[in-house]
Amino acid sequence: MGNISVFAGGFGSGKSEIALNFALDAAKKPIEEGKVILADLDLVNPFFASREAKHQLEENGVRLLGPRADLIFGDVPQLPPEIIGIIGQDNNMVIDLAGDEIGSLVLGYLSSVIKMRDQMDFFLVLNPYRPFACDIDSVESLKNMLEAASKTKITAIISNPNLVEETDIEVIVKGHAKVQEYADHMHMPLRYLTVEERFYDQLLPQYGSLLRKISLYLRPGWLQVF
Amino acid sequence: MEKVLMKGNEALAEGALIAGCRGFFGYPITPSSEIAEYMARKLPGLGGVFVQAESELAAINMVYGGSSTGTRVMTASSGPGISLKQEGISFIAEAELPCLIVNVSRGGPGLGGIQPSQADYFQATRGGGHGDYRVIVLAPSGTQEMMDYTIEAFDLADRYRTPVMIMAEGTLGNIMEPIIVRDPVEKFYDKPWAITGCKGRKPNIVNTLHLASDFLEERNRILQAKYKLIEQNEKRAETFLTDDADVIVVAFGLMARIVKKAVMEARKNGVKAGLIRPITLWPFPDEHFKKVAETARMVLSVEISMGQMVEDIRLSVNGRVPVEFYGRIGFTPNPEEITQQLLLLAEREGF
Repeated sequence: MGNISVFAGGFGSGKSEIALNFALDAAKKPIEEGKVILADLDLVNPFFASREAKHQLEENGVRLLGPRADLIFGDVPQLPPEIIGIIGQDNNMVIDLAGDEIGSLVLGYLSSVIKMRDQMDFFLVLNPYRPFACDIDSVESLKNMLEAASKTKITAIISNPNLVEETDIEVIVKGHAKVQEYADHMHMPLRYLTVEERFYDQLLPQYGSLLRKISLYLRPGWLQVF
Repeated sequence: MEKVLMKGNEALAEGALIAGCRGFFGYPITPSSEIAEYMARKLPGLGGVFVQAESELAAINMVYGGSSTGTRVMTASSGPGISLKQEGISFIAEAELPCLIVNVSRGGPGLGGIQPSQADYFQATRGGGHGDYRVIVLAPSGTQEMMDYTIEAFDLADRYRTPVMIMAEGTLGNIMEPIIVRDPVEKFYDKPWAITGCKGRKPNIVNTLHLASDFLEERNRILQAKYKLIEQNEKRAETFLTDDADVIVVAFGLMARIVKKAVMEARKNGVKAGLIRPITLWPFPDEHFKKVAETARMVLSVEISMGQMVEDIRLSVNGRVPVEFYGRIGFTPNPEEITQQLLLLAEREGF
């Protein structure tokens, strides 16, 4: 059985965008053809969920597992019925959870099945510019609540420091330093620093293989106008 | 100053705390629930009160009670919940109690859906409650304004002793943008009318039952005088490229930002378009329309509804310029389709 990557974190930490990028990147590898699945298990808030990128995912060979089309705005917690079966099959699965401990509860339900997979990454996505991730106490309590709700230990942190359209190099460098402090304090590995493509080349010498570029699929293009 | 990345609903809730709001009474409903969640997390630590009431009706009456004590209080909901609160809003208006009521709107009528909507414009500006009352309605168009207008809403509420409503589409409540968190408000209003435990003064009574005819009429005249003052002082709108525009597009809330993009696109295609964005939905900024009625050839209202604000626009231009409407519900019109609409109008009308 293949890899499974689960993304959790606070509301609005960037989980869905990162999950989309991981799934689309994986699908580019010939060996993964037809095997990448993105499970949108955001059962809490239907606004800006990864299911909105259904078209792009399917065009690029990623199967989207999420609420039925007529229930996308159902506003009820509903799991795709085939989820457990699919977790048990040979595929490369990316799971996008909803925010906070409430969003990670569903993983608690699935954890016994997921543990049968050979390899599992359970990422804590942190954007230190979000109100409930701006100090170590908040982050540590978030981590503990996520682990308790999901009955799963977080394996690594993904640093996603950004102010969306107003991000610049300084925002990334300062924010990432803060996330590194959180990671050190909690004795947790920091696996990736995710940045938009426009910053990638400039930051590559400083961060090397830690750096991972992402595109924003859920952000409306007209937001810059004000 | 370092910015933080906030959802509209979070920015609004933090804005309320900055304004000194220490009481939140609500019943959660998508897409407003983050406001209640934020207040539930933060208010206890600030010595405030958070109550998840048993119903919307209970929540709005807790707002009535909380405000009677002179405390800054609020509630937040979405269209169906605001419908349930109407009785209380009418009572609060007549009791002249300041408070903030937030509507993060979703699609109706009935249970409708949770897609962003502006179809509660009538509900907000005409009031679903009974009697001759008005509610000041502010329509922010971005996350920073969700915070800033909330701070301002509490000020307006206290200044005029009136309920103030903030209306935002569901998307605006849920979209994240970097904002500057404002400093805590330090100047508050004296509230000699508040029920604070009567010692050494005449008792204060907050009541809306007026059985005598002349007193009932007097109360109504007092309210109307206040509404007139609000109309004189508080009409607000933003204008964009209106001076030379042949077609004026009108939109409020987050929708106005989408329209702004369409206005710029239309200009690139040779159509002189402009934008009026009402900031106060009541009092409606009719003065802004008097000028464009002389210069523009057409007005187009774009709404996430089947056409509500368009009626206020027609009243404001009073027949001097034709007013057209474009709206959708279930979907938010995108910049491309609005641009297309503008190009079609220009072709049809020959400008």
